[in-house]
Order: sequence, then structure tokens, then C-alpha cells
Amino acid sequence: MSNSGRQLEIGPTDNTSDQRTPRNRLRLIPEIARESFAPYVPQRGLSRQNEWDMTRIAADLPRAQGIAIEVSGKLQNERGTPISNAMLEIWSANHFGRYRHIEDHSNIPLDEHFLGTGRVFTDSEGNYTFWTISPGAYLARPDIGRWRPKHIHISVSGGGSRLITQLYFPDEPNNASDPMAILMGDDFERNIGKPYETPKIDVDSGLNFDIVVGGRNAVYFE
Amino acid sequence: MKPSTQSDLLKPTNEDTVGPYFPINFSDPLLEDLSRFESGITAQPQGIPIILKGRLLDRFGELANGTLVEFWQANAKGVYRSPKHEGDSDIDPWFWGYGRLRAESGEFEFKTIMPGLCADRAPNITITLFSDGISRIVTQIFFADQESNASDPLLQSLSGEDQAKLSARHEGQSDCGSKIYTIDIVMAGENEIPFFDDLIREGE
Ligand SMILES: [Fe+3]
Repeated sequence: MSNSGRQLEIGPTDNTSDQRTPRNRLRLIPEIARESFAPYVPQRGLSRQNEWDMTRIAADLPRAQGIAIEVSGKLQNERGTPISNAMLEIWSANHFGRYRHIEDHSNIPLDEHFLGTGRVFTDSEGNYTFWTISPGAYLARPDIGRWRPKHIHISVSGGGSRLITQLYFPDEPNNASDPMAILMGDDFERNIGKPYETPKIDVDSGLNFDIVVGGRNAVYFE
Repeated sequence: MKPSTQSDLLKPTNEDTVGPYFPINFSDPLLEDLSRFESGITAQPQGIPIILKGRLLDRFGELANGTLVEFWQANAKGVYRSPKHEGDSDIDPWFWGYGRLRAESGEFEFKTIMPGLCADRAPNITITLFSDGISRIVTQIFFADQESNASDPLLQSLSGEDQAKLSARHEGQSDCGSKIYTIDIVMAGENEIPFFDDLIREGE
């Protein structure tokens, strides 16, 4: 029995986490107010034709450097009901570990053929697929030598679903020291993609990432 | 064949930090201004246009730059655009109630309409923050000049000091006649505002 909500934890060696993590326990929501905390995201934002293929900036342009991969999976709620027509907004660093974002001021090289952002929608069965370049790990804290492991950011929205998460790669040396991975503990495993072979398509390998949207997000059952 | 008991539920994918680089090219101006419908269309949401000006602050009082802010609110008649209210005659066809913006500097301006009274609730806007260093956190913002605040069950579950922290103050009017409200959203430390747990229920 609890009379108050969760105590959020601060990611170790993460300065921003120390600056921005609420110190007080989360407050409980009176039952009558709960529904108001579950946003329902309207259908919106068409993607451009080639956004599912992040290995190149446009269909008529060459491939970016690095290892081309396919990422695919099923989006569902905690009850196993597929979530269709949801938008996935995807972003990641390039092969070298640099974001093409005006606020990434690192000296890591840009790749003239890699944009690093894309949007796709789930189909009627909740499945999604996109291609991208396997991102590079990058040194997040040069002062203490802490790296961010290879990861792809994914934001899911549509209907009662709202989730921002990251897809990690198996057997990466920097996974264990990542502050957010440490906070996830054993649950971190669920955010690691499962490799599969891709003999028939023009990518080197595949990574399966089934996404389950949990918690308040499942108030409205799609 | 759907699992029905609590233990049969699938384990959710972990929420994770949005990090510092949420793509600016994913911005959608229509989600930053709910006080109008799509441009070029003769249509206008019902209600009083307002501008919510906010500052997102960290525990040192510095602006929390690069934070993704999402908004969710009822329309002027107090109805949320969710499946529960499908077919409700008080749905405003020109108002969805979901907004999103990236506060590049840590300050934001969200244009919308004053939400209506809804099921014993004072007008409020649910605010979700996705920011570097943290996963999703949520709160609800009220308007200091609304009498109904005195009977709002969420607001009244808090101390007077905390109630004030969630109350946006009316400060003037924009050139276009919108009422301006301001709020400081302190994410951590001494003046930290209350955040809410939308995963845990009382008694769980
Ligand atoms: Fe990142």
C-alpha cells in the first residue's frame, strides 16, 4: 500500500539528470482526475516518401557510410493488442557518432549522406519497419571517459499511445555503464534489439524490436 | 485470446530519456497553436484565446534547454477529444486539445484556448515533459484567476504552497487580444513543482 507515487532516480554520472530530476516523490492522482492525465494524440504529420529508408537522404542519393540495418517489430499495448497507424519518430547519430542537429557541437565528422531522422507508421497489424545506418557510440562525458552506447531514439505517438524510448544493441561494451541502462536494471534487456538475418534485402542485418506501450498510455485500448 | 489478469500483461518497453537532440525538423506549427485551425480554412475553435508562457528551470534556476513539452486539455466546453467522448455533441470539430513544442532555450509560448470546466475539475492543462537526463514527467497547470480552483480535487489534494506553484498567473494581453498567463515550471530542487504518478494508483 502506498500513499505516494514513485521516487524518481538520478542517472549516475549524468549531470543533466542531476539538474532536472524531481527530488520529491511523485504525487498520487485522485481517481476522478486520472483520465485527464491520458492524452489522446490525433493522427497527424505525413512522412515524406523515403523516410523509412534512413540509410540515404533521398531515394536518388548514395548510401551513407557504415553498416546498413533494418529495424522492425510490432507495436502493441500491455494486453497484446496491436497498435495500428501510430507514428514512430526516429533519430540517431551517424556511423561515427555525430548527430546532424544544430546543437550537437562535437568534433565528430558529419556524413554528407546521412540525415539521421525519419518517420514511419505502424500498419494495420501494428508492424513497423525502417532502414538506417548502425549508429556509432559517442563519448558523452570526456572528463570521465563515459560513452553513450550505440542507440536509436524512437518516439511513439498515436491514439492513446505515447512513449519515448531508445533501442540498444546486443553485446555492446558500453551498455553496462550507461546511466539510463543502470536505472532500468534487469529490465534493460527489453530495450535491446534481437538480431536477425536479412538474406533477401539490401541491408547487412536486421534488428527486431517489439515495443509494448504500458502504463497510463493503455487507458484507451486500440 | 487476450491475456486478462494483471500477471498476463506484457512487460512494457522502458521509457528512456529523449536526450538533447530531439529533431527540430519534427516540429509541427499546428501543434504549437491550438487557437486556430489549419491555415486557409474558415474555422475557429470555440473559447477564449490564451497564451501560456512558461519557463522550464532546473535545480540551479537555469533554463532547461531542449525540452520537449506536450499539452493535453479539454475544449471550451470541458470535453476531451478522446474515444470516451466520441459522438458527444459538445466536441469542437476545430479543436483537438493535443499540443507539442520543443522549448529550444527552455522558454516556451503555447497558444491555445482556455479549457472549460469538466466533471468537477477546474480548467487545467496536462503538461508532459521529455527532457535530457530524465524520462517522461507529468503535471497539471491551473489558472490562478479561476474560482473553480477552490473545489478542484487534484489542486485541493496539495498544500497551499504547491497549489500556487501549479497556478499560472494572468499577466496582460497580447496584441491580438489573447490573455497571457505565465508559469515557472521548476523541475528539481528548492522550488520544485509537484509532478504526478500516472502509473501507480492509490493502494497499489
Ligand atoms: Fe542519443
